[in-house]
Amino acid sequence: MSSSLTETAPEIAGRQTGGEPALTYQPHVDVCDTGSSLTIRADIPGASAESIDVAFEDGVLSVHAKVPARELPGRVLRQEYGIGDYRRSFRLGDGFDGAGITAEYRRGVLSIDVPRLAAVRPRKVEVRVAPA
Amino acid sequence: MNLIPFRTKRTSGIEAGNMATLADFRNEMNRLFEGFFSRPLMMPTWFEQVEPGQWMPAIDMSEDESKIHVRAELPGMGPEDVDVSVSEDRLVIAGEKKTESASWAHRESHYGAFTRAIPLPEAVDPSQVTARYDKGVLAVELTKSPTAASRKVPVQIGG
Repeated sequence: MSSSLTETAPEIAGRQTGGEPALTYQPHVDVCDTGSSLTIRADIPGASAESIDVAFEDGVLSVHAKVPARELPGRVLRQEYGIGDYRRSFRLGDGFDGAGITAEYRRGVLSIDVPRLAAVRPRKVEVRVAPA
Repeated sequence: MNLIPFRTKRTSGIEAGNMATLADFRNEMNRLFEGFFSRPLMMPTWFEQVEPGQWMPAIDMSEDESKIHVRAELPGMGPEDVDVSVSEDRLVIAGEKKTESASWAHRESHYGAFTRAIPLPEAVDPSQVTARYDKGVLAVELTKSPTAASRKVPVQIGG
């Protein structure tokens, strides 16, 4: 896990979380740190962009997605994945620009881009050749 | 044993009568074991030896009078990444989830090639199959073969 990202409620991925009226699931996430921003990709198959909430408050990034009940016609023979909403949240470190967060949902994957504040972005210092 | 973790939300039992091949059986056993190895979030990335053929999508399957319905969770893929093939008694879902970045700081999703052979409970007509990919979910509808019933061999009473 990236050094600037911590799970708010460390639990086993995919495990059901309690306290909800219906079962909720933790989506699998991938995190990419580009230096200027964090990109978080969450597997949320079966949802739609309108039913996904992404919130950033007090340094905590949270994702909640409503997934419609999957209808399996007839007699069920196998059920390897459950039906329920997805919920997961992360505490980000300081220095992120909450107003600049963007999110996109495509092919069952939610991609969230959290930019760092310009002041804390790593800067590459160019080394110039001193005049002879 | 396949130790690649999988987000198994619910694991169903295997139906012994439906095992088409030994490979299918082995794959199904792997799936059963995967439930015991759900991955803690802080598992180091070296544990994830995501190699081709070492992960399988989760499926749902149901049947009604004329059709068999199968759904597989394949987030982050496109229709062009998934191959669906059908024989009379088996549905094979194969494909590859391509990784877009090599610099993931943390990874829980599955990447690479996968193949899953699903034994079907009844013979189907391979020419009447539809597959649709939407929002990360592949839905396959198979039509039961009308001649399947006639394949049952009645056992006669010995004289």
